[in-house]
Amino acid sequence: MATTLRTKTKKAKAPAASGPAKWVGQPIRRKEEDRLVRGKGIFVDDQKLTGMLHIRFVRSSYGHAKIVKVDVSKAAALPGVVCTLTGAEVKGMVKPFIEIGPDVGQKIADYPMAVDKVTFQGDPVAAVVAETRMIAEDAAELVEVEYEPLPPILSAEEALKDETLVHPEMGTNRNWHGVFEYGNVEKAFKQAAHVVHIGRLHFHRFSSTPLENNAMIAVWDSRSERIEYWSNNSFPSFAAQFLSPALGVGIDQILMKSFDIGGGFGIKITNYPYMAVCALASRKTGGLPVKWAETRTEHMQASAHGNERTFFGTRVALDKNGVITAIDSRHVDDCGAYPRYEPLGCVIWAQVLPAAYRVKNVRIDMNQVVTNKCPVGPNRGYSRMQQLWFMERVLDICGHTLGISIDEMRLRNYIRKDEMPYTTPNGCVYDSGDYAGMLALGKKLIGWDDWKKKQAAARKDGRWIGIGIGSTLDSGTNNFGQARIINNFAPFSGQSKAAIAKLDIYGEVVVSMGSVPQGQGHETTAAQVVADVLGISPDLVRVKPGFDTEQNAYTGHTGTYASQFAVAGLSAIHGAAVKLRKEMARLAAWALKAKEKDLEFGIGAQGPEVRDKRTKKSINYWGLANLVNVNNAGMPENLWDVTLNCRHVYHAPFQIPDTKRKYGNLTLTYAAQIHIAVVEVDRETFQPKILAYACVDDCGRTINPRIVEGQVHGCTAHGIGAALMENCAYDSDGNMLASTFSDYTPITAVNMPDLLYGHMESPSPFSYNGAKGMGEGGAAPVHTVCAGLQDALYSSGVIIDDSHNTGDSIFHALQRASSGGFAIMVRVEHPRASR
Amino acid sequence: MYAYPFSYHRAKSLAEASKLLQQLGDESRVLAGGQSLIPLMKMRLARPSALIDINFVPGLADIQSPNGELRFGALARHADIEVSEAAAAIPILNDCAAGIADVQVRNQGTIGGSLAEADPSGDWGATLLTLETSVQCTGPQGERSIALEEFIKDAYTTVLAHDELVREIIVKRPPKSSGGAYLAFKRSAPVYATVSAAVQLTLDGKDICKDVRIVLGCVGLTAIRAKQAEAELHGKKVDGKTIQRAAEAAREAAEPQSDMRGSADYKRALVAALVKRAIGTAVRRARGERVEAGHEYVGR
Repeated sequence: MATTLRTKTKKAKAPAASGPAKWVGQPIRRKEEDRLVRGKGIFVDDQKLTGMLHIRFVRSSYGHAKIVKVDVSKAAALPGVVCTLTGAEVKGMVKPFIEIGPDVGQKIADYPMAVDKVTFQGDPVAAVVAETRMIAEDAAELVEVEYEPLPPILSAEEALKDETLVHPEMGTNRNWHGVFEYGNVEKAFKQAAHVVHIGRLHFHRFSSTPLENNAMIAVWDSRSERIEYWSNNSFPSFAAQFLSPALGVGIDQILMKSFDIGGGFGIKITNYPYMAVCALASRKTGGLPVKWAETRTEHMQASAHGNERTFFGTRVALDKNGVITAIDSRHVDDCGAYPRYEPLGCVIWAQVLPAAYRVKNVRIDMNQVVTNKCPVGPNRGYSRMQQLWFMERVLDICGHTLGISIDEMRLRNYIRKDEMPYTTPNGCVYDSGDYAGMLALGKKLIGWDDWKKKQAAARKDGRWIGIGIGSTLDSGTNNFGQARIINNFAPFSGQSKAAIAKLDIYGEVVVSMGSVPQGQGHETTAAQVVADVLGISPDLVRVKPGFDTEQNAYTGHTGTYASQFAVAGLSAIHGAAVKLRKEMARLAAWALKAKEKDLEFGIGAQGPEVRDKRTKKSINYWGLANLVNVNNAGMPENLWDVTLNCRHVYHAPFQIPDTKRKYGNLTLTYAAQIHIAVVEVDRETFQPKILAYACVDDCGRTINPRIVEGQVHGCTAHGIGAALMENCAYDSDGNMLASTFSDYTPITAVNMPDLLYGHMESPSPFSYNGAKGMGEGGAAPVHTVCAGLQDALYSSGVIIDDSHNTGDSIFHALQRASSGGFAIMVRVEHPRASR
Repeated sequence: MYAYPFSYHRAKSLAEASKLLQQLGDESRVLAGGQSLIPLMKMRLARPSALIDINFVPGLADIQSPNGELRFGALARHADIEVSEAAAAIPILNDCAAGIADVQVRNQGTIGGSLAEADPSGDWGATLLTLETSVQCTGPQGERSIALEEFIKDAYTTVLAHDELVREIIVKRPPKSSGGAYLAFKRSAPVYATVSAAVQLTLDGKDICKDVRIVLGCVGLTAIRAKQAEAELHGKKVDGKTIQRAAEAAREAAEPQSDMRGSADYKRALVAALVKRAIGTAVRRARGERVEAGHEYVGR
């Protein structure tokens, strides 16, 4: 076997000029809570601008159809309607959006509205702009669209056949293909004691259902030739890069702004096609503000869903102890009608290629196809959760098949604590972690031995009780260099975040961070960090949340995604605060006639101040700011560079991966979640019930344990909902069947088990503060609940082959099992024994 | 999410409401709790030209229990019924009321509105069909009393004339040795049940079933009285065997359709399971035991 290259990742050093950690690590209440719970949040749809108009989309009722005719005349004639737009008209006003994918992907013409044909139910074909939302809604009903239905492509299998094409200009439905191969797969299979063959596995489509739907206001100012957006897009610098070439305006002419956002979970990243239409509508009306506030049905049908993935022909090689030595599998990702953020998902899963396990020989053939479903967007746990779910299914199926208990199976395969930092077969570096220790803590929390006894007794009574383990990694702070593995010409790499820390002219500490929080508590954690640097308290730090091209700090990577604020965001903020402290110290040393080394930062009788330890003389923040901004005659020349307005850019220590070998470090930190669920399937209703649930998380040093625990609860609810309830299902005609909450049934409190929560800290050696991002949680419960169901039903001959399981699907799985479904799904060979 | 334009009228009495319905024509609708109508209007699936609001008619939300009867005003809210003495005396009413949708819907939604809407997935229709229930209606021709069996004709269709309104729902108290249960399986709180089953039965001292009604919800155009299932119990000792036979007969009686809530064959399996459990609970309650029952949800 070839020697594995270790990817070099520099260890981060904490800068010296910083106060002791007093606030970081404390479970303080969130600063933003007061505003939000009192209904004082400022959301896009709360904004009312003079002359503001409202846009309403006319959407396709078909999943796949030719557009024969669009007649907007009746709508245009309705009093109060200002203008209309059709796809054909929009085509003349813009260029298609850029595509990230190479080759065939470059041939897709993705316009912000459907032009010649519709490719998913909800695809916008026309829009009306009116003085009120009500008039817009009335007018939209008057638009007449004639369609000629085409057969819809609704599964990976159908798409692969290339018989019907979603985008004929591509010549295929296969949007991207690549083989990820590491180690010596064939040799490992030859030497295996057991080879387990697993049939088709399927990770279903689900979404995140943020409380606030997509919303935006666009103003295309004809005087300045600038486009101003107020939106809830969660990655505005990315959106601007797509909008600028499409709309034909310089990227510096696009101004982005966001403030409070009611949840996003990644899927608002791809709302930029609507941002384009709103800008065009504003231009057509002569520069009036145009607002779009999406309805829930629009959101469910046509915003973005999570990626669906199907796993074919999986082979697993194991040694005689059940240690997995090789995996060979073919994965097909379904990105819906347009790639947009894709095909990045075709590499992002590889951040967790071996999951939490030591397997060295891996070959995964990765395909992505387009289908007649809603385009996907990065959905919390994006692309990694599909891989983690796959690996967890593999572990469970192999364990059950070989008669090795599921906890033992994991302990034999987990990467060990003493192997950290661990380089994966594809060059990713797992920074730190103790998966076996987390599992032990989880077992203690849930009362593992006790449940094992209860389970055995219940089985004798004919009850179906299963205990499942889910091992999940939340890889955070991504290296955009991995895009080069998708498309060697992708003009971006690395990761950066910017922040500004300043002492405003009257001495107020103000931090702007450019992140786009949607509930993550950035204002609080940022204030904790700055408070520690300056020796003050978080309530004395004003944090400006949200993106603002003109007022806040940002880089081209700025946004809130990929579990990285605790690392990248706070590193930038910390760096800016340290710079500010240094400037304040220089200034104070002059003002107090002291030596910098004798200065201390803290809170005195006149508020926050800097004082001379020896003389006890001090100057407060107002005084310091005054010296620079108001009362500066006599300031020595060597202090003229002091601005008290300090910007810092954090660069994550990344290299561009080896694109030929698909090798390199794709993310900086790896938080982990080990969950355990006790699940019972009712023998009469077939309904799954969660009898007990434990979550153990390790995200390195925690900045605010209360926020971390909140994230764990939210992620757990999201994952249980996905595993048991939420499904973006389509019927065979391409109708999206879950376009309302009555059909989609997002999880509610009545569905939630009580959570047992445990926490461990394995500090990251790669972040200055030892923290790891943890916002996504990696859909831990999806793996865990499926594992519990598998344990409950294995003896009945059921293989859990889908990430979505309901009473209905379990009822049918048991029926299939009784007619020999198990044998088709799993087959075991013993190559070495046969010799 | 804006309703089609409509005019709004506030009635001070049911007589006035009836008159307004006549005047405003076929496209006018009565607004009671609005928990079905308003969402339908916002989604533009319902487009009434006029709404006649009866929420300001005095005395229409009263719950009374005169001799041997329970009287629910048409506007009695689910939440009020849930905590009423009537529901404490007749547990099946509590099972039903306490689990309808979520707290907001229960605070606003009404028993009269629910019956008049005649949604095949509604909770009250199935529950009240197990009891002797009549609907007091009022219209230009005066008052009439209609047995609930006659009142609901089809999915979303009752015998009410356009200008006729529900005034009161009258339920006869079941005898002392009677017990009932309403079980509904829902995926999450705010949605309609996948399947529901209501059972009310009366036992003699030796567990012989003297009287029984079994009604299935969500598995047909209206709530379905499972008469063959009833026959499996009537006059017989209620034990594991007869309960199983009744559950199987109920499975046959169901006429479910496949949808996002579940496939038709799964719903039949669920009917059998819920009927079996509802009979079990009804029997224990008939014997005087206190048993918690009602709505069940995915996950727990």
